[in-house]
Amino acid sequence: MIYCLNAMNLRARLCVFMMLALVPFLLPSVLCAEETAEPVCIQCHSKMPEKYSQPVTLWRGSIHAENGIFCNGCHGGDPKDAANAMSPARGFLGAPKEPAIPAFCGRCHVGVMKDYLASAHGRMLGKGGPTCVTCHGNHQVVKASLELINEKSCSRCHSFERARVIRAAMQETESTIVAIDQRINAFKKIGTDTEKLEKELFSVRNSFHTLFHNVNVELVKKESARIQADLKKIQVVLDRLDATYQRRKIAGAVVVSFMLLAALALHLLRKTFD
Amino acid sequence: MTLIKKIVDWIDVRVGIREVTEKELTGYLLPRNINAWYSMGSILLFAFALQVVTGMLLLIYYVPDADKAFKSVTSIMNDAPYGWLIRMCHAVGSNMMVLVLLLHMLSVLFMGSYKKPRELNWVTGFVLFTMVQGISLTGYLLPWSQLSFWATTVATNSASAIPVVGQYLVEFLRGSPLVGPPTLGRFFALHVAVIPAGIAALIGAHLFFLKRTGVSTPPFGQEDSTNQWQGDSYRYEGHPGGIPFFPNFALEDLRSVAIYMACFLAVVFFDPYLFFTRDSFIPANPFVTPAHIKPEWYFLANYQTLKIFPNELIGLSLQGAAMTFLALLPFIDRGRERHPLKRPLFLVCSIGGVLLWIGLSIWGHLS
Repeated sequence: MIYCLNAMNLRARLCVFMMLALVPFLLPSVLCAEETAEPVCIQCHSKMPEKYSQPVTLWRGSIHAENGIFCNGCHGGDPKDAANAMSPARGFLGAPKEPAIPAFCGRCHVGVMKDYLASAHGRMLGKGGPTCVTCHGNHQVVKASLELINEKSCSRCHSFERARVIRAAMQETESTIVAIDQRINAFKKIGTDTEKLEKELFSVRNSFHTLFHNVNVELVKKESARIQADLKKIQVVLDRLDATYQRRKIAGAVVVSFMLLAALALHLLRKTFD
Repeated sequence: MTLIKKIVDWIDVRVGIREVTEKELTGYLLPRNINAWYSMGSILLFAFALQVVTGMLLLIYYVPDADKAFKSVTSIMNDAPYGWLIRMCHAVGSNMMVLVLLLHMLSVLFMGSYKKPRELNWVTGFVLFTMVQGISLTGYLLPWSQLSFWATTVATNSASAIPVVGQYLVEFLRGSPLVGPPTLGRFFALHVAVIPAGIAALIGAHLFFLKRTGVSTPPFGQEDSTNQWQGDSYRYEGHPGGIPFFPNFALEDLRSVAIYMACFLAVVFFDPYLFFTRDSFIPANPFVTPAHIKPEWYFLANYQTLKIFPNELIGLSLQGAAMTFLALLPFIDRGRERHPLKRPLFLVCSIGGVLLWIGLSIWGHLS
């Protein structure tokens, strides 16, 4: 009798346990599949032969991808409707002919287009001169930097001598901009509101980059000095932030020491009651 | 007669405060061999109170609106007076609370304090553990960062593995087919109202059971470490000749809290980013999926378990079974022995379980 009761209890317990075991606890069930909201262009082209999928591969390593600018940002079309994605009725523009490239990019980069058209390069547009993609690339559009002015690239069309002088004049400013950008990013990574600083640097950088299309060495030197002064103001703000974080660490050392001393005092006090 | 004595006398003749003090503090005796692990509960109470206070302060500036949430958190970190400190205390505090909770559960497990008549203490404690995980998960979404958005997307998506009702459940959790403003509203309500109220109620129940059953005697340093409870009638486990709660153990509790605070503040001031990734400070963008989105450290083992099995339902069911087994442990392990070294099977299984959990977490972190 006792054996039967024990066996029933055990069976009942096992049943309850099994039933409960089948009810999955949802709470800790974290992460597995990922959901994406990429445009249909990328979804289709990624699976196509290399000729058509290569633009996607190149784009993924571009400054556009980094900033969330998708295919439709330049080529138009409907990024949500695969059937009509490339319909001109939905604003699809396709790839521009060479003389139309500056206007194509210039829809967003208005100031840069103006600088380019006023430059020696721009004046040669349609006459064998370089367009935006000649130096910046097309799908793998790289971030505008002084690195773009290099012997290998410039020598494709002309001698590097003048470009070398211009690049040397800009080098210090470029290095300062890169260093400031890294400092801003480091602060951003720890939750500091860097929006204002980023905008200021963006503005200074843009102003600096307008010189990139210029071939007047004296003007480049004069403008670089003005830009350096603007960068100094940003550096002062960054130095102040550094000091703030340093003060926080000192305050931290004080409170942590206080807590450890309090723990020691409480421990000794506790011992007096033994 | 001093003013303080006059005030105490005034209260005493009305509510009998001296009797309460005698019964609950100086006359409340604890086992002589009580150890520091018994302070974990007090640390947890303190940590929970700190979470409530910092959470209330954050509510002054936080805006639970998908368009404004990220900006409001950025403003707390940069503009509000000591906002950075309050937010970091809240974020670091939640992680530290889970850590101490795990240590508390492990100490109860290894000292066999979950055994009868303390089944209800264990069950309420276990539910508290899942609720703390729940409050952490819901709080994760509130900053509306890339990390918040995508971690919540994949976490809620796991429910879709449940047959038949999975998809409905996902939509119910999110309030819409995809994570969006309705999800933020739901998670905010759960995080600041529903779950804290549940946790407070369960803490009350947990303490009530503790008071009614009495503090368990540690199995260490005793010849007979078996459970003496007969199960015939209600019996309070008193400790005649034990040490008084006040001042002896209260000082030990305070010392433990001070050590906890030293560790906690060291993380807050020197490396609070231990619990943040770069995606924590980028506003949510449904169109850009971060490359390697990972859950919080205490969910890494669950995350890796789901990845190991080809079928998500198997992974979920296995976790459910493990959690259910742990929740019902006092009803399954009915042996009288409490000393861990005299329970070799238990010792091997529990150490193996802990090592498995750590291993899966490391694997999840590195994968």
